[in-house]
Amino acid sequence: MAVEYQGGVVIGADSRTTLGAYVANRVTDKLTPLHDKIYCCRSGSAADTQFIAELVRYYLQIVQHNEPPSVQTAAALFHELCYQNKDHLLAGIICAGWDKHNGGTIYTIPLGGSIHRQPFTIGGSGSSFIYGYCDANYRKNMTQEETVEFVKNAVTLAMSRDGSSGGCVRIAIINEDGVKKHFFPGNQLPVFYEGEDTVS
Amino acid sequence: MNPVDFYNETLTSVPTEHGFYPYESNGGTALAIAGEDFCVVASDTRQSNGYLINARYAPKAFKMSEKAVLANSVFAADGNALVRRLTQRIQWYKHSHEKEISITALAQLVSNTLYYKRFFPFYTQVLLGGIDESGAGVVYSFDPVGSYGLEVCRANGTASALIQPFLDNQVEFKNVQFDDKPRMTLDRAICIAKDAFTSATERDIYTGDHLEIFIIKQDGITIESYPLKKD
Amino acid sequence: MRAKAEIPKGGFNFDNYRRNVFLEKQGLGLPKAIKTGTTIIGIHFKDGIILGADTRSTNDTIVANKNCKKIHYLAPNMYCAGAGTAADTEQSNALISSQLELHRLATGRQSRVITAVAMLKQMLFRYQGHVSAALIIGGYDISGPSLYNVHPHGSSDKLPFVAMGSGSLAAMAILESRWTKDLERDDAIELAKDAIEAGIFNDLGSGSNVDINIIEKDKVEILKNYAKPNERAVKEQSYKYKRGATAYLKEYVREFIVTEGDAMDIS
Repeated sequence: MAVEYQGGVVIGADSRTTLGAYVANRVTDKLTPLHDKIYCCRSGSAADTQFIAELVRYYLQIVQHNEPPSVQTAAALFHELCYQNKDHLLAGIICAGWDKHNGGTIYTIPLGGSIHRQPFTIGGSGSSFIYGYCDANYRKNMTQEETVEFVKNAVTLAMSRDGSSGGCVRIAIINEDGVKKHFFPGNQLPVFYEGEDTVS
Repeated sequence: MNPVDFYNETLTSVPTEHGFYPYESNGGTALAIAGEDFCVVASDTRQSNGYLINARYAPKAFKMSEKAVLANSVFAADGNALVRRLTQRIQWYKHSHEKEISITALAQLVSNTLYYKRFFPFYTQVLLGGIDESGAGVVYSFDPVGSYGLEVCRANGTASALIQPFLDNQVEFKNVQFDDKPRMTLDRAICIAKDAFTSATERDIYTGDHLEIFIIKQDGITIESYPLKKD
Repeated sequence: MRAKAEIPKGGFNFDNYRRNVFLEKQGLGLPKAIKTGTTIIGIHFKDGIILGADTRSTNDTIVANKNCKKIHYLAPNMYCAGAGTAADTEQSNALISSQLELHRLATGRQSRVITAVAMLKQMLFRYQGHVSAALIIGGYDISGPSLYNVHPHGSSDKLPFVAMGSGSLAAMAILESRWTKDLERDDAIELAKDAIEAGIFNDLGSGSNVDINIIEKDKVEILKNYAKPNERAVKEQSYKYKRGATAYLKEYVREFIVTEGDAMDIS
């Protein structure tokens, strides 16, 4: 997921990669750097998303401008790749970052390859479990600390309900000053209702 | 019909069937060798499914009477169900006739029991080894629906294609010509059984763990067991 | 009636595809390729990387090779363990290895692990999973020791310890319970051996011996058959036949040495 706040964006993701019922990687980093201040969150097929993220990263490197590329440029590249090759891809991308024109910006490029700019967005298999939580708790112009808590809580809640999500939570804060990454191991996450006191 | 149409016909109008499949293959191998006055029945004890080992010691061969041993392979659940059913029938036979069942009668009983389930068969290949009324070693082998025959030696199960030619050659001396063919002694039969299994274990992934050899003689049945490779 | 078959003007010809699908439906499929139902692992230790593999290769349920090599050379500082279709792992390794060699000759620099991984995953992605190579790549380069795995569809992970192949669950159970950061060299070798042996004994697709490769700074040690926990049992008797045991219908002798004229002067 990704959330805009006062000075930038906060992005977060769980760390589980599955192959059927097998957890192929429990410490995956799904927050993929594309440029100094542009990241993406990948969901869907690992092979497809790694490949297109790598392509976008390459394009952003070779295209020379007088200034760093905007988040919109990166998102448009994803859109183009995902839309033109939609028959062959299984990729849900959230592209987020900071640029001097628009500040913190978030784009989501879901399965069909459409593109949407949103103040906050969630994606991936666990996201359907937390629409309610996110709609209820998102506020405009949160502080950085509030936003980090919001993202951490939302991802934790998704992890506890979705079998394909889990492990740890990785968060990155992107703003004018750069990127700050945080890592929260599975045993240092907020605890919500876990089924205790069930009437038997 | 022209071949292109025939291709299209076969390719397009095939409904896919999926759903409950009541059988599985649990692997494993069994063999039996009949001698003049003895019979040897040997089987490994590995039970598996796919690439997974369910059990390293799950016997496939069972003593059915003082003169008969039955070994089965392929689907272990059906094999075990068959053995339970037969054990009961053998008891009934004993009580109603006041004597132990002969191997000939037992073979017919096995056949009947298998054919009884002709349209939902026991998914198993059966070997029956023992001593007949005259004291001679005999081996019967059965298909899953009860067709059976008397044999000198037979291998069953996942390594049967590896072992049967070896037995044909070493027990029945097929495809060789020389004069002083050795008599099939008990010691030689056991050696052949052991070597058949250690060799099959090398090349068949479903054969291994332990080898159990049943030796059936006029004065009773003894069991020998040996370790096999566990990889 | 159908119009007569069109003659293709160019491009690919799929006639055989349809024929083959038809034949497959008639129960006449392609012969199966040899798959290495495998256990392969890679682990980080204090000063480098260890790669481990079993040595069984199978053709369906029959063991095709009891002591095959699954750890392949990529570069002097880099090795790769492969699982999947034997031909695919061997060919993709050979291809990347040669490209790396050319790259080294062109640049005069040591190959980097990430280069090999990027090349492999791009190739595998292009083949959309049809090249079934599941690889573990370990090496020591300018950025120190590194370990990656690549899946057949072209995704990769960078991890401190990895297992792949049909025995990966058994091996991973050992690694998850015993791997720690900065393992000593000897302890790491022992852990690698135990993980592979878990695969050998509990997975039917894996078996025979343990191969180990240790990659450190400017040093590679290859321990082929580091452990041999599955020696063949001694046979009870010899099955050697006396001369003449095989029957034959006819016999003829052909002279292969033909003498023509005088011997050549070779002085």
